[in-house]
Amino acid sequence: MQTLDAKTVAGLFPRLAARFEAERDALIELDSKVGDSDLGLTMAKAFRAASEAVGALDAPDLSTQMKTAGAAIAKAAPSTMGTLMATGFLRGSKALDGAAALDVAGLAAFWDAYANGVAMRGKAALGDKTVLDVLDPIARRCEAEAGKGASLEEACAAAAKAAADALEATRDLVAQHGKAAAFQEKSRGLQDAGGTVACILADEFNGFMQALAAG
Amino acid sequence: MKKFLNNPEDFVDEMLEGIYRAHPEVTFADGDMRCFVTANPVPGKVGIVTGGGSGHLPLFLGYVGKNMLDGAGVGGVFQSPSSDQLLSVTKYVDQGAGVLYLYGNYTGDIMNFDMAGELAELDDIETATVVGNDDVASSVVGEEHKRRGVAGIFFLYKVAGAAAAQMKPLAEVKRLTEKAKDRVRTMGVALSPCIVPEVGKPSFQIGDDEMEIGMGIHGEPGITRKALEPVDAVVKEMADRIFAEQSYVDGDEVAVLMNGLGGTPLEELYIAYRRLGQLLDDEGVTIRHVWLGEFATSMEMAGFSISILKLDDELEPLIAAEVDTPFFKHFAG
Repeated sequence: MQTLDAKTVAGLFPRLAARFEAERDALIELDSKVGDSDLGLTMAKAFRAASEAVGALDAPDLSTQMKTAGAAIAKAAPSTMGTLMATGFLRGSKALDGAAALDVAGLAAFWDAYANGVAMRGKAALGDKTVLDVLDPIARRCEAEAGKGASLEEACAAAAKAAADALEATRDLVAQHGKAAAFQEKSRGLQDAGGTVACILADEFNGFMQALAAG
Repeated sequence: MKKFLNNPEDFVDEMLEGIYRAHPEVTFADGDMRCFVTANPVPGKVGIVTGGGSGHLPLFLGYVGKNMLDGAGVGGVFQSPSSDQLLSVTKYVDQGAGVLYLYGNYTGDIMNFDMAGELAELDDIETATVVGNDDVASSVVGEEHKRRGVAGIFFLYKVAGAAAAQMKPLAEVKRLTEKAKDRVRTMGVALSPCIVPEVGKPSFQIGDDEMEIGMGIHGEPGITRKALEPVDAVVKEMADRIFAEQSYVDGDEVAVLMNGLGGTPLEELYIAYRRLGQLLDDEGVTIRHVWLGEFATSMEMAGFSISILKLDDELEPLIAAEVDTPFFKHFAG
């Protein structure tokens, strides 16, 4: 597939909601090691709200879907990660402004805006052991795939792989932000909880595209 | 912990219930008591919105009222209000002229106010932001952007509120407030910690005979901890740090806020103020306005802070303007 119409893209949100519901306990467990254990709860709430809000729209364009998802996440999940994800979707919506259908270039622009928004709002830099350390590789991979003229399913598969590799690499980093920062060296060796959220997003984008491509 | 409480979890909401009962001139937006707003918004005026954690009364909500603030997001004790709550306050307060966000320099507050501003933009509400960073003790000159916002925000509220009341546009309200921000400095000192109700234990330990110069209003570490000295010496040490950044010339005028942190008697504040007045006299500086009492507290923390705003012809009339809020009244005489 080279493009996907807005109506089809909307099907992504129920998938994200179901996936974060399924990952809830695993995220709670991961977050409890260096955070305050609420990540699984807030992400499940966040993406359920996003799915409901987008589902309630009447034939929304791509930008409106992402904007609505972002606003719903901000309202439902007022935690740090909720606010960062909300920012990502709101910035991503601007990148898709005026786009009638999703293509790989649009996808790359979406993830680039998403990652930049999160970096700005969270005042994080690459290597700080945050969600950004997985978001940025997703955006960079999508850009590269767009340059190669890849299909949506190829780009999303490559981005999911890049996310998984980047998440694994967060184990070697030391936390600089949030509650995890208090643990500093103790955070070394642990997979970053925020990065896990980004990895799940990329993985679910990929699962969505593969299912569509398989017909 | 020895506090007048019911369930510690209800500390903030029961406090709010009391405030709403006592002061009918304030109310709340969207059915959420933590979305604190004036009951009398002024059509066409720039809205001034603040917010931050609870545990600092009269900060933040106490300054919502005539010629000062229009709304405040109320967080849990020492916690930021959510972006959604700030958005509710913003929507209520906006009277078509936009909204100025004015709050202290803390990571959680910045994130949530920025998020609220981004969401407000989707509703076509223009926002601007000024972040208070008056605490000299929390970072060095040249790194002012890292400084915490403390009691000096009181002056920013006054300037922003008075400018907005004159129906100035958002950009002008922001400019004047920024100017005040650049000219106000605060130093604090603490003798004892505070207790967050839901935690139930003191926020830090300090010896009976010790003081901490420069401690933040949440108990953040200051510059030095040492044996308590006579208050004249303590005030001198604090004032020296402020004076060093305000480079006075003869005839300069200032406004002074002598602020108790919650557990220090007024008597002691006046003794401290006596010394500060002498020191400003020595600098050839005139104290044009002074307020003394509790303006930004940390529950039962003993200590005080000194904030000094260096006035100019533009700021002075705004500081002198009348104000009428539930917690602070200033009648120009």
